[in-house]
Amino acid sequence: MKTYILTLLLGLIVSGSAFAGELESVKGSTQGRTNHQFLYEEGCKSCHQGSGKTSATDSACVECHGDINSIELDESKLVFSEANPHKSIHYNKGASCLACHAEHEKKAPVCAECHRTWFEVM
Amino acid sequence: MLNRRKFLQLGAGAAVGSAAAIMPGTVLASECGKISWDESADVIVLGSGFAGLSAALHAKRQGLGSVLVLEKMQVIGGNSAINGGWLAIPRNPIQLSQGVTDDSPADLVNDQVIAGRGMANKAILENIANRAMDVYDLCIDSGVVFREGFNIQVGGQNKPRAIRVKHGVGGDITTKLYEAGVNEGIEYRLQHYIEDFVMDNGEIIGLKVRQNYRFPDAKTGKSIFIKANKAVVIATGGFARNMELRNAVDPSLDPTLDCTNALGATGEVTLTAMAHGALPVHMNMIQTGHWGSPDEGGFGWSVALLSISWHEGIAVSVLNGKRFMDERADRKTCSDAIMKNRYKDNSPAYPIVFFNHDDHIGDDRVVRSLRDKMAWKVDSLEQMAEQFNVPLADLKKTVAEHNKNVITRNDPDFNRKMDTAVELKAPFVVSRVWPKVHYCMGGLKTDVGCRVVDGRSMKPIKKMYAVGEVTGGIHGVTRLSSTSCLECLASGIIVAETIKSEVKG
Repeated sequence: MKTYILTLLLGLIVSGSAFAGELESVKGSTQGRTNHQFLYEEGCKSCHQGSGKTSATDSACVECHGDINSIELDESKLVFSEANPHKSIHYNKGASCLACHAEHEKKAPVCAECHRTWFEVM
Repeated sequence: MLNRRKFLQLGAGAAVGSAAAIMPGTVLASECGKISWDESADVIVLGSGFAGLSAALHAKRQGLGSVLVLEKMQVIGGNSAINGGWLAIPRNPIQLSQGVTDDSPADLVNDQVIAGRGMANKAILENIANRAMDVYDLCIDSGVVFREGFNIQVGGQNKPRAIRVKHGVGGDITTKLYEAGVNEGIEYRLQHYIEDFVMDNGEIIGLKVRQNYRFPDAKTGKSIFIKANKAVVIATGGFARNMELRNAVDPSLDPTLDCTNALGATGEVTLTAMAHGALPVHMNMIQTGHWGSPDEGGFGWSVALLSISWHEGIAVSVLNGKRFMDERADRKTCSDAIMKNRYKDNSPAYPIVFFNHDDHIGDDRVVRSLRDKMAWKVDSLEQMAEQFNVPLADLKKTVAEHNKNVITRNDPDFNRKMDTAVELKAPFVVSRVWPKVHYCMGGLKTDVGCRVVDGRSMKPIKKMYAVGEVTGGIHGVTRLSSTSCLECLASGIIVAETIKSEVKG
């Protein structure tokens, strides 16, 4: 666990991004996030329970990153302070990581369904 | 509760057989009439909007045992989380402090019955309205903050009784009810899609659920069976996002009409309940609003912006630069007039609506609309004509004629009431309009205790309950603004009392 966090921090510094990390090819046609490289070295089961064919759940994210309210965002990038997706006035704690983030492909966050100009595809 | 595998011998093999017939590729062990339950819960609530969250919380507080909430989407709150957070509460403290002391639940019901045009269910509306102050207390006790001193009169209601949550979004309520439920031991699960009900002799005994489902792909995740010991409460909302169903019940709703609802408002559980005998009523009664914008999702800022435009501005067709309606007419009249604006290939020619920018500097309704690019500031009619592809000469003529009408306070073309009209002067704030589908008055027929009625016997289906927009026949032809939130939260209180009384009995 400790090595995970260390590697994660390192990954953030190297990629220079506080967000989801860039997509890159990790195995065959499968894409993944640059800051998750160390997970791919350990195989699909690092995140997927059983096999890579089973959809991963939030627990895969929360183990390293913490839960939604504890992950800090760069608030200077928000349209205004209340438009903070990690402290959403619509969902607060009631949002899955997967509502906004995807590992193997780019995804528009759930907020963008209505707030079309606030967020970018990640 | 996890992995408790129980085998249940079904009294009627036919029930399992019929369930299997509806679902191709079912994993039901229909040959031997046995179901292998993966889990069980005392009360299972389907959906996590106002109605589902309230039902779950009150089921728990009634001491009904374990409560499990299943939500198919990746967020808690359903359409309620993105609603406007308006709540009709007769005799609320803000109303009383404004000196309005002659309101009552019966007064609200009277307004609703008029709007229902003979099709509303007065007994259910009374049952709900009588719990309005319980709903208010529920919100306050859960930590919901209402706008200070704010209590206004909204469409179709004869008294100011609509209060609004601080941020103007239903999420102010759903997040609080969810967090209260988590603290009280309710289990909530996202990405659980209801594939079918498991019935036994006219009684619902459990659910076939797609776990780890990813909307909208029905093939994702895997099927499990969850046994419901005491009740299944259906709180899955309306079906305004289900284009095929919408078109089947009301073909007049043009497919170009967007929808204010969250994407999950697709009504699969309504259809599943119907397949097991639940009586659908008023399915073709679907509410639209003429106040939508094609340049934003959901309900958006458009309604608030247009509250200026309809009075102080004009609506103009981009096809010919002319006005085409009384901007202050009712939503049906305006919807029909707006939707006639079509290009030759029948695609929408979204009309533009505009008013004077400098009359509303700093107005939040304008500021946020411009910021989020669902409205634009233009410095001249020339720029407007260019940007929205409107014939300039006609546009200029239309504005000049309107400005003459403002002086005479008379609109010879559309007989608009001109008392609030303003002479138009650049720069302007311009937005585009197209109606949006908003709410389904129709759905599953329920009795006053929120029991789902079987259309074949006209009797309640055992252990099956429904609350909120998934129900039908409560509001009749028109649901009034701010009354759905009340209905959902109050029905959650009522349904828990019904279940409690039946478990005892």
